[in-house]
Amino acid sequence: MTATSLPPGSAPRVRVRAGRLVLYTVLVVATGLFVGPFGWLVLSGLKTPAELAASPVHWLPTHVQWHNFADAFNLIDFLGYARNSLIIATLYATLVTLSSAWVGFGFARLEAPGKKTLFGILIGSMMLPQMITLLPTYLIFAKLGMVDTYWPWVLWGLAAAPYLVFLFRQFFAGLPRELEEAAIVDGCGYGTIFWRIFLPQSWPVLSASFVIAFTWSWGDYIAPQLLLSTDRSTLAVAVMSTYVTSAGTPVANLQAAGSVMYVVPILLIFLVAQRGFVAGMSTSGLK
Amino acid sequence: MHPRAGASLSRRRFLALSAAGGATGAAALSGCAMRVSSGVSGVGETVTVMAKADDFSPELIRQARKDLGVKIVTVRYDITKLIGMMTNGAPPDLVRGVGATDAPYFAARDVMEDLDPYFARSDVLRAGDLDPVNDLWRYDGRTQGKGPRYGMAKDFSQDSMFWYNTALFDEAGVGHPPETEPVTYEEWLEDARRLTRRRNGQTTVFGGSYQGVLTPNLLASLTASAGGNLFTDDFSRIDFTTPEARKALAWYVEYGRSRVGPSIVQPDPNAWDGPTYQAGRMAMSNSGYWLGGLINTDKKLAPLSRLAPAPLFAGGRRVSPCQAGTGFWMPKKAKNKDAAWRVFEWFFGEGPARARASGGWGIPTLKSLRPLMPAREDYQKRVLKVQNAELRHFSVIAFTPYASADSLYALFNQEAPAAMNGHMSVDTLAGRLNSVMNEQLKRGKEQVG
Repeated sequence: MTATSLPPGSAPRVRVRAGRLVLYTVLVVATGLFVGPFGWLVLSGLKTPAELAASPVHWLPTHVQWHNFADAFNLIDFLGYARNSLIIATLYATLVTLSSAWVGFGFARLEAPGKKTLFGILIGSMMLPQMITLLPTYLIFAKLGMVDTYWPWVLWGLAAAPYLVFLFRQFFAGLPRELEEAAIVDGCGYGTIFWRIFLPQSWPVLSASFVIAFTWSWGDYIAPQLLLSTDRSTLAVAVMSTYVTSAGTPVANLQAAGSVMYVVPILLIFLVAQRGFVAGMSTSGLK
Repeated sequence: MHPRAGASLSRRRFLALSAAGGATGAAALSGCAMRVSSGVSGVGETVTVMAKADDFSPELIRQARKDLGVKIVTVRYDITKLIGMMTNGAPPDLVRGVGATDAPYFAARDVMEDLDPYFARSDVLRAGDLDPVNDLWRYDGRTQGKGPRYGMAKDFSQDSMFWYNTALFDEAGVGHPPETEPVTYEEWLEDARRLTRRRNGQTTVFGGSYQGVLTPNLLASLTASAGGNLFTDDFSRIDFTTPEARKALAWYVEYGRSRVGPSIVQPDPNAWDGPTYQAGRMAMSNSGYWLGGLINTDKKLAPLSRLAPAPLFAGGRRVSPCQAGTGFWMPKKAKNKDAAWRVFEWFFGEGPARARASGGWGIPTLKSLRPLMPAREDYQKRVLKVQNAELRHFSVIAFTPYASADSLYALFNQEAPAAMNGHMSVDTLAGRLNSVMNEQLKRGKEQVG
């Protein structure tokens, strides 16, 4: 069939289909790029060490080593470390979400001298590399007797996080001023306005903030490594440092299997909260 | 909670509450059981050990409780954390360390406990039973290898030796290196070239890996093998321009440039030689006896593998040092020294030491434990014979106390790639290394005094 024999109106349809084909191809390639490393991690967790080191590369395991996952689970107190991670991440994510919302509300809706400067300092503090503050942080918590406890995460949670403050500020600044004025006329103070009017409106940002904070904390290696003893440490630290031979050299296939199990909770949380997460990012002017 | 009508929150009160909320929350929570578990529980004492996962497994910690009645709490080894703990005046009771480099560094800073009085009292760790490798943990204020003991190695290897896979040598038609006499470094590199296999630009078989434990120790060992010293007599300066050090540096640059093995310009994704050697993709691996712990578990690979003496440079001298001697030391400000020493004795001289000796992952550091080294299979006996002969050539190669090996390693990695990629001559590299490393050593000397 030639183009000239096509019925009227079919050319735009062909163009639409071709456009979709290109779009889907691009999407599949992009998805592959993002999913590829995780897929490789899963495959690495199913190989023997020798197969992992083979050249040319063995893309698929010759004999699938399912037991690697059981070994990775049993070699360390996986559930114990996961519990520690869960406690720390939930505690921190909950507190920092609420405190950041509180601070973000203040910056968005209240006027005070030096507000802009303060906000600038707050945002500027995001540029401070964590490495610089490591030793002073340790010393402060050591002096306060908080080393080897979960108190640092409580304090960090109560102190709000600059990026999340920015997220909430953007969202709250976008809400109509009439809402606030009507509430003041009805006799509400700012605490009530925040708690009963603004916070319930911000579920998408709350959700995004919780996911971001939970992921930060779940994935953080440095703080638990620095502040907690081995037994009280987190899964991130255990997975990175415990799958080793008697000589201390890494066992890569068990590390891969352990890492797959380590990221599963994050994936689940994201799957559950993704709608809110995307909405939160798009309604706060950050899309 | 419903707001009281008329009790509106002013801006001032809002801001005040923001500040007070945190403090109140923290104060309220302080009554909660935030401590995940209590410190000491039950009978006995608690010893805090800064270690890596392979040093103190949960089983070993349980065994210590059973054998000694001591509770061991481990914190993962981390130099930032160690500095933080020491600065705070509450260091661990025992700390993991690399004798070859950490002993002079920390001893010179006067943070290590002199363990001579403890050794003198011990029935478990007797001076006559200590292998000479433990001298890596001695420092007299000027030279490593002499003076008081500050720690002990848990096991060791002579890290300039190398393993080779006879099947890959046979495939390439290359004669096997002798097991009794050392080859020269020049011969080793030539063999590595002939053994290397490439396909489509990818290295499918590394002819040989020669990276040492940490590059600064490796370069010090190579220089000693060429007949010289990398450091000046007072260890305050480094000199890569002496004929011996230059020879060692030129050889190592050529090793990297020739791409016969993993290096900073051609890293092995496996990060260490074990998996690559086990996969039949590495003909020679510069690993000491300890790699036998892995090789012995592979019944196909073990009979094909041989251990060879440390090479030497043509016209150089035969030395076979230990570049690590990893073990433990006791900080001077440790809170629980007696209990820590009991753990020390147990770890280095009792059950755990016997288990390590029979595991084949290193040579025991007590002479009396040597009969426990694996020698059941023929290939194990063969390896042991080579290893025992090599012990005669052991010597301590002293390291500078004025810089950590890690800092010198970072400086080397910053400068050397240009030379290994052919963009810089060895002489220029030697000059640059002298410049940046001596600056680092100068700062260290100022700190130590």
